[in-house]
Amino acid sequence: MKGRIITAAFALTALVAAGCGSSNSSSSTSSAAASSTTSNTTKACAATIGIEGPFTGDVAVLGQEQLAFAKLAVDMDNKANGTNITLVQGDTQLDPAQATTVTQQFTSNSKMVAVVGPAGSQEVQAVGPLFGRAGIAFITGSATNPDLTTSGKNPTFFRVVSRDDVQGPQDAQYIVTHLKPKKLMIIDDQEVYSTGLTSAMIPVFKKAGIQVDHESVSQKVTDFSSLVAKVDPQTTVVVLPWQVAANAEQFGKNLAEQKKKATIFGTDGTQSSSFTIPGSYVSAFGPDINSIPADAAIAAAAKAAYPKYGTFGPPVFAATHVIDEAISSVCKSGQTPSRANVLAAVKGTSEATSILGQPIKFDNHGDLIGAKWFLFKINDKGQYKLVTNT
Amino acid sequence: MRFFIQELVNGLTQGSLYALIALGYSMVYGILKLLNFAHGDLYMVGAFVGYFVIQWFGGSTALVIPVPLLLLFMFLLAGGGVGMLGVAIERFAYRPLRNAPRIAPLITALGVSFLLENSMLLLFGASFRDYNTSAFIPFSSGIHIGVLNISLTRILVIVLSFVLMLGLRLLVDRTKLGRQMRAVAEDREAAEMLGVNVDYTISMTFFLGSALAGVAGVMAGLVFNQIYTLMGFVAGLKAFTAAVVGGIGSIAGAMLGGLLIGIAEAMISGYISSTYTNLIVFGILIVVMILRPQGLLGRAPLQKV
Amino acid sequence: MSTEQTPPAAETDAPQGPGVGVDEWVARSSGRREYAPGRLGDAQRVLERVPWWVILLAAGLAGACVPFLTTNDFQLQIGINAMLLAILAVGLNISVGWAGLLDLGYVAFYGFGAYGYALVSSNQLNPPTGIHWSTYISVPVVMIAAGFLGVAVGWPSRRLVGDYLAIVTLFFGEAFVEFTNNVAPKTLGGPNGIVSIDPYKVFGTTILTNKGYFYVLLVLLVLTVGVLHLLDTSRTGRAWRAVREDTLASSLMTIPVFRVKLMAFAFGAAVAAMAGTVFAAQQINVFPTDFATPFLILIYAGLILGGAGSLAGAVLGGLILSVTLDGFLRSPTEAGYIFYGLILATMVVKIRPWLRLGAILGATVVFGIIVHTIVKAISSSAVAGGPQSSGWISDLVHNWVVVPSNPTRAGNIGYVLLLVLVIALVQVKGRWRDILMVPTLYLAACVWEGVLVAQPSITRQILLGVILIVMMNARPNGLLGRRRVEVV
Repeated sequence: MKGRIITAAFALTALVAAGCGSSNSSSSTSSAAASSTTSNTTKACAATIGIEGPFTGDVAVLGQEQLAFAKLAVDMDNKANGTNITLVQGDTQLDPAQATTVTQQFTSNSKMVAVVGPAGSQEVQAVGPLFGRAGIAFITGSATNPDLTTSGKNPTFFRVVSRDDVQGPQDAQYIVTHLKPKKLMIIDDQEVYSTGLTSAMIPVFKKAGIQVDHESVSQKVTDFSSLVAKVDPQTTVVVLPWQVAANAEQFGKNLAEQKKKATIFGTDGTQSSSFTIPGSYVSAFGPDINSIPADAAIAAAAKAAYPKYGTFGPPVFAATHVIDEAISSVCKSGQTPSRANVLAAVKGTSEATSILGQPIKFDNHGDLIGAKWFLFKINDKGQYKLVTNT
Repeated sequence: MRFFIQELVNGLTQGSLYALIALGYSMVYGILKLLNFAHGDLYMVGAFVGYFVIQWFGGSTALVIPVPLLLLFMFLLAGGGVGMLGVAIERFAYRPLRNAPRIAPLITALGVSFLLENSMLLLFGASFRDYNTSAFIPFSSGIHIGVLNISLTRILVIVLSFVLMLGLRLLVDRTKLGRQMRAVAEDREAAEMLGVNVDYTISMTFFLGSALAGVAGVMAGLVFNQIYTLMGFVAGLKAFTAAVVGGIGSIAGAMLGGLLIGIAEAMISGYISSTYTNLIVFGILIVVMILRPQGLLGRAPLQKV
Repeated sequence: MSTEQTPPAAETDAPQGPGVGVDEWVARSSGRREYAPGRLGDAQRVLERVPWWVILLAAGLAGACVPFLTTNDFQLQIGINAMLLAILAVGLNISVGWAGLLDLGYVAFYGFGAYGYALVSSNQLNPPTGIHWSTYISVPVVMIAAGFLGVAVGWPSRRLVGDYLAIVTLFFGEAFVEFTNNVAPKTLGGPNGIVSIDPYKVFGTTILTNKGYFYVLLVLLVLTVGVLHLLDTSRTGRAWRAVREDTLASSLMTIPVFRVKLMAFAFGAAVAAMAGTVFAAQQINVFPTDFATPFLILIYAGLILGGAGSLAGAVLGGLILSVTLDGFLRSPTEAGYIFYGLILATMVVKIRPWLRLGAILGATVVFGIIVHTIVKAISSSAVAGGPQSSGWISDLVHNWVVVPSNPTRAGNIGYVLLLVLVIALVQVKGRWRDILMVPTLYLAACVWEGVLVAQPSITRQILLGVILIVMMNARPNGLLGRRRVEVV
């Protein structure tokens, strides 16, 4: 009994004691690697940036990939530019409420000058005004909802990927023109990314006179045999605007198992080494970084750090790189990195080339100017081969 | 008609997996009155064990041993390993709480669940792992009649599940251990007074239940190919539902509940709508529960005065 | 009863097994004393004399001082999250703690409150202007509607008991998320949720800042606890307790069991809905994923850690869990406090006498120094990596722990080894346990510094699981719970 009271008292004391310590939450940092802990010397150009994403939880597969690529970018840029940028993680589990908490943790950290993420469009909606009020630039590599830049509520928001209202119609147009199905099935996974693309694509199909079968399945389902059984022989194309590539792979296997001959058309969420069904099409925002000679170093490092990467890593690498370069340019001009000058530097970003195979420049809403769109077809060996490039 | 059979087979496959996990739930509940929320995660660990066995023997495309031997190893290692993990969890987390109010071990179970899921995430990363079963059990084997296509893997899973469930039934009904399990489930103190080694019986129950979950995990990997660290969460909830709907504490009930849910999901998804599948299944189950409050095969709880 | 023998050493909490000629219940309870010995007992006696509302007001005043101690919005947000969880735990306490009904769909009432408030305070319905009711109207209406919903959800309790009822409530909880995500996307927003929700407008002011919502929640928490305490000490509360202990007997004592159960559901739902409205107003947007099962787990954890059946316990449990999760575990340095603090606290409680504790700690330090020196001598790269966190703890242990320059592989093996050692520790007894504890402690520090701190997000979840396991084993009845004899 006495021991229990002692435990409770201990716990409370620890809480209070550490609470006094936590009033200065800027004391917490997590290093990307041992190299960043050598901060004893007064290094030039020290700054802290944050990354928000689903690092645990249902979609940890996306968040962990993004985290690995962000760490890689920070490491490479620190070595290349001689900066001392530290990366702090904030786990949101793709939940907007947690994203709000993490964002406030970041905005309260006076050392934080810019943020990568959050990953989901709903999260951006929740935290955009907060970042705006704090004047912190935040760049996402995966939030594609058009409203985020058109609503004007997120003044410090940038993205390095194209929007649903661009990718959707472009993909749909390609299907109509080149694949010419009489009947197709489009399945959304009940997440915002998916439903957004679906509602952008269906009108294009209907206008072309194609019979559209719209199904919807939860992201948590891992077996699609019931759905596949519904695919009739006349359906030649199945459109899967899914986020989890492994689910698309399983869908393809179910198709093969039931000897259905439909072609899968996946959007950028399915671009991944987890999805290799021969004969499928995948649209993406970035080229396969293995195929670009200039990216060889990055591709090798990525493979070492995160072998099974897909579509979510490279854009976050690009976003982090933009921030790193902005910080570096601020330092080179003799100033100390602060939220205001990093924001200005990000706004004025002009990279001629990037890991995404295209130049990076933002319009005044935060969208990427001239976002390119790539289409791949998977060959019999499971490799992605570029088809067309608009 | 073919479509119906196809959906039926899909439902049976999924349902047998739910049933296997539900069996473990039911067994543990019967003995300890504990809802072991970490059970679904044992299923996940089993799936990963099976995956690593495949990798150990060369990977799905370059196996160095014949397939039946591979399957045997996978099942034995997953079953045995996860079984022992279950026993360890019981000794470590649940035994001290044997006499605590029922809700305390519930929270401990949740804690164990978090620990298991995130330890796997820490150790093995978040990427999905692919069994790639079709590389060593090709789709062309199996039954193929016109539109009906059932792969050998599914047949294997359904048959093996039934064999295991039957085996468990025999064990509980005919063997000494089974008698002891039933005795401890009925009245722990009376059983102890009659000379039953309660600790051993409880440990064995956990071993069997967890082993079943582990084997179910391997089967899930074989059929569904993609495994990830949170696959146990959803499966665990569904299996818990199955155990309760079938009558918690009843082994045949767990089997029935699991199959019912699996088939209902497949049929509703196929015939009515895949969007509202979950809602409709819930609705059906609520109706079932209201019509039969003790579950399908459960005993009406006696109220001791 | 007085003719029964009571065993002499009844101070232990768990009996060794049924003894012949011993009344189990008496044996378990007779060793307990009313009050703790010494000063603590005096304090307890004084506290019992103070009226409850004085304690409540004092706690409320203490809470009101908190915003003056905080320096930024993040800490206020932690406070808001903590109080939301506390209110939810208090509401859940009505069904689970007082009436003994396992309600696994509770988070759906929270969501219902949030969505309900959102629908009548935004442009969602009847676009483009939408409906914008005054806060004084919308909140009570939503609470009353939630009460009716609670009655509907509790209706199966007429025929279903225990875990069967739990399943039906679980369905309801899951169905809510599915419903709001997939059904009627134009009205309910689908996965896009409902955005641009009006803030609270009370007493002439519009609450826009975290500080404002902190105070709103504080007032609501104090009011809720007050009202529920009155309810607890009333006939309704006694009826709930009776139904929890023995349904049959209470129905024989003319308690309308079914109606009492429905009331438990209804009140719990209303409290949750109230919390939901504040959540919606503060977040400005609501999405279906905010109300999924993982959050339900948190509410349960908070309630049971604090002690189901006790109002103060529910509040305390909710507050402590939320502050730990959001405040401490979100930053690696402070997570270190929790980690080391938990280990030390467990050791202090479990290991007696003090000499033994000191010996073990000393041995650990020495062991660590020896290992560090040996490993350094063998290969310097094996100790090249430094602890990955900053702060005074890591500076302290920097030269003590062994962290190789590439910590991942070794760290993973170390982690698994640590788990195995901890399980083994529980099995062995006596001298062996002390001996085994030394390398285990050292390994724990190494694994923490090497691996766990490098992955703060995953570590946060792992620590949450460990906290739940350890707290439940240490105090199965929760921090402030009372030990009850349960007839199963």
